Amino acid sequence: MDELQFDIQIAADGKLLVDCADFTIPRSRVTFLFGESGIGKSLISRAVYGLLDPAELTAVINGMTYADYLRCTEVREIREHGFFVFQEPSSHLNPLMTLHDQMREGSLARSSPGQEALRRLWEGRAGGDLKEILQVYPKPYRPSGGEKQRILLAMALEKIAMLPPGDARGPETLFVFDEPSGSLDNRFRDIFLSGLFGSYRRRPFTGLVITHDYSMISRIATEDAALREQIVFRELARHDGGIVMRDFDPARYTGWVRALEHATTTAGHTPDRAPVLTVDHTLTVFGRRLVIAPDREGVRRTHLSLHPGTLTYLKAPSGTGKTTLVKRVMGLINEGDIHASIKDLRIDGKTPRSFWQRKIWGRTMTMVFQHADEALNQQSTMRDSFLGLPTRRALTPDAIVALAGELFDESEIRELLPKKVRFLSGGQKQRLNLLRGLVLDTDILILDEPLNGLDFESCTRVVRILQHKMAAGMAILVISHNEEIFDALAGHRICYLHAH
Amino acid sequence: MTTGTDRHAPLRLAPPSRTDIRWILVWVAGIGAMWLWDLLFLNVPAFAQVRLALLNSFLGGALVVVFSMLLGWGAALLMDTLEQRGIRSVYLVMTFLFDLIRSVPQIVGILLGDVVLTAFIIEGSLRSPLLQLVLMSVVVSLFVFLEVMDLIRERIAHYRKLDFVDAMLVCGIPMRRIINVEILRKNSAAHLLHKAVAVFGMAVFLQCSIDFIISVGLSTDVSSANFPVTLGSLLARMDSKQDILAIGLTLADPSYFGALLTRHLQGLTVAATIIYTLICTHHVANGMVRRYRL
Repeated sequence: MDELQFDIQIAADGKLLVDCADFTIPRSRVTFLFGESGIGKSLISRAVYGLLDPAELTAVINGMTYADYLRCTEVREIREHGFFVFQEPSSHLNPLMTLHDQMREGSLARSSPGQEALRRLWEGRAGGDLKEILQVYPKPYRPSGGEKQRILLAMALEKIAMLPPGDARGPETLFVFDEPSGSLDNRFRDIFLSGLFGSYRRRPFTGLVITHDYSMISRIATEDAALREQIVFRELARHDGGIVMRDFDPARYTGWVRALEHATTTAGHTPDRAPVLTVDHTLTVFGRRLVIAPDREGVRRTHLSLHPGTLTYLKAPSGTGKTTLVKRVMGLINEGDIHASIKDLRIDGKTPRSFWQRKIWGRTMTMVFQHADEALNQQSTMRDSFLGLPTRRALTPDAIVALAGELFDESEIRELLPKKVRFLSGGQKQRLNLLRGLVLDTDILILDEPLNGLDFESCTRVVRILQHKMAAGMAILVISHNEEIFDALAGHRICYLHAH
Repeated sequence: MTTGTDRHAPLRLAPPSRTDIRWILVWVAGIGAMWLWDLLFLNVPAFAQVRLALLNSFLGGALVVVFSMLLGWGAALLMDTLEQRGIRSVYLVMTFLFDLIRSVPQIVGILLGDVVLTAFIIEGSLRSPLLQLVLMSVVVSLFVFLEVMDLIRERIAHYRKLDFVDAMLVCGIPMRRIINVEILRKNSAAHLLHKAVAVFGMAVFLQCSIDFIISVGLSTDVSSANFPVTLGSLLARMDSKQDILAIGLTLADPSYFGALLTRHLQGLTVAATIIYTLICTHHVANGMVRRYRL
């Protein structure tokens, strides 16, 4: 296979951050790159594209200093003809220019005036909200994260459309999409993928899609199976103190999801025990009315009931207030009105915070937060992260090793336990974050995006632990963008949140 | 893509900044050198005075750091508890009291404190020089500790804004552990150390200023003779002032420079120690900011 090959080392502050001897991107194919958060996917891609800041980082690529690497013809061609969609769309857009002007800036000035890619990502609507959004100067909350991401994806697709027609021969190209669906729901993600593969069919290019969204594999298998030979799945993994790139077999993921569905279906409908948590279908927080419904459209209403030994999946588009709801249920937001019961304890809008501290937190109910970076103490060692927890059994050093073994490889535990959290990768932090919640023997466990930043192996381990917890009688509530996985795990226990 | 051959081309891994350590060593070396020079050229009774003043000033500064840290920590925890439990009336009273202290210029407040201490000394109930030094430090701390309290409250407020505190609370970790261990010990040690260095510099400077003001004769009741000798009070003595004036003479007559370094050492040593310590303290604190990325 004709490939772009890179041997990369990147360092900062006297520490080697990345050492990958064989980072390869097949030419004229679209590569989907998986791997746990923080392993270096984005950093390596930025280095390859020539986007590192030499004041912050030192890099050696293919034996060359970074300054020499940037002078290579291929790198200059990549930068001229390619495009890089950053993970955080806000950092990409200029707040002093309207989106319309940015769509026509630099090399994009020669793109099609009809802005076809943009219209496609706005579902074919040329007027209305699209016209309005193009006149906006980007600020932190306007447009939304999803809209910014769609603007950037449209820019990239416009740039692809500008490639000279014909076969893939010509200047070196590289289009990098770093977490392109991070702020999109599945509908817009699918529209983007259709646009990407539509562009590829017209004119093949070299693409790199960095993602944690394994469900793209299922989507490609059903909608773009004809392109299977042109799509490559790879993952970055740790090996011998460095990073290796290896092929990822998509059948591993699809087979696993099918097995989950099968296990949930065959488990059947056992009669529910009395709920351990019930939340009335309507509650208000910060002046917003949140309504829980059994259907996506929100025609009917239902109480949120968690039964022992079950997993309930709470769904809603980004920004609806899923995290706000669970924080209200957890007593972390003491504003607005709520009626709920936790086992035999009644809770309403006037229940004081001290009640939760005495009776609920860490005893009856716990929650794993979405952002491990914020939730964990970065200055603690991994071992010390378990200190102070009200566990029934004492957490001896051996017990901590055994506990860590549930989500970490045996070979890495001894090395990681004395390490400070800030030196762990994003995926390792997320696993530690999950372990801290899972070690508590509470009746109810709330998980906010538990699979964020995890590689496939870790996802399967987390799901396995959740299955064990359910078998032991724990009631679990999950908020997640990984719809395919949690649909399979929750079965019929899915409810939808609507904001009014 | 072009490939080179040497994958082990040197990737320079720069060591982290250690400017603070370097400046601590510079300070120790400078004070040591001065000490050695004084040992050789300063007369024995004056050298004993300088030694005592240096010891008292630095001990006083260290005590101010300790008292300010304890007072600041206690006050911050009290205010946080009052705020979290919604005990609004006590919270407002305490805020008023702290603002009242803030409204008094530090030098004026410390002078008033020294007047009270003098009264006890004249009365004969406060004779031990060590106890006098401790109480002098307490007085300075009363007008400095609010800076420590503000820092600790800022650190707690910063972590409350993140998921950090909530994520630990819902795991059943007690609030006192979250504040004292997770926020202050593990995440604010560098900030507190930086503040301690700043408080030390401030204490030495304030003490010297007050002693100097007292010694030049602000009051007949409050006199440097009542208090343990410090760098400030030693600087205010007549012979030290003459030593300082000799610097002006040297500027007019450079041939006097040799005599300046051998015959006027008491005043020069005291003045140099104060200035040199404050400069080094400033650099140590800045070095810490760089090293710990505060």
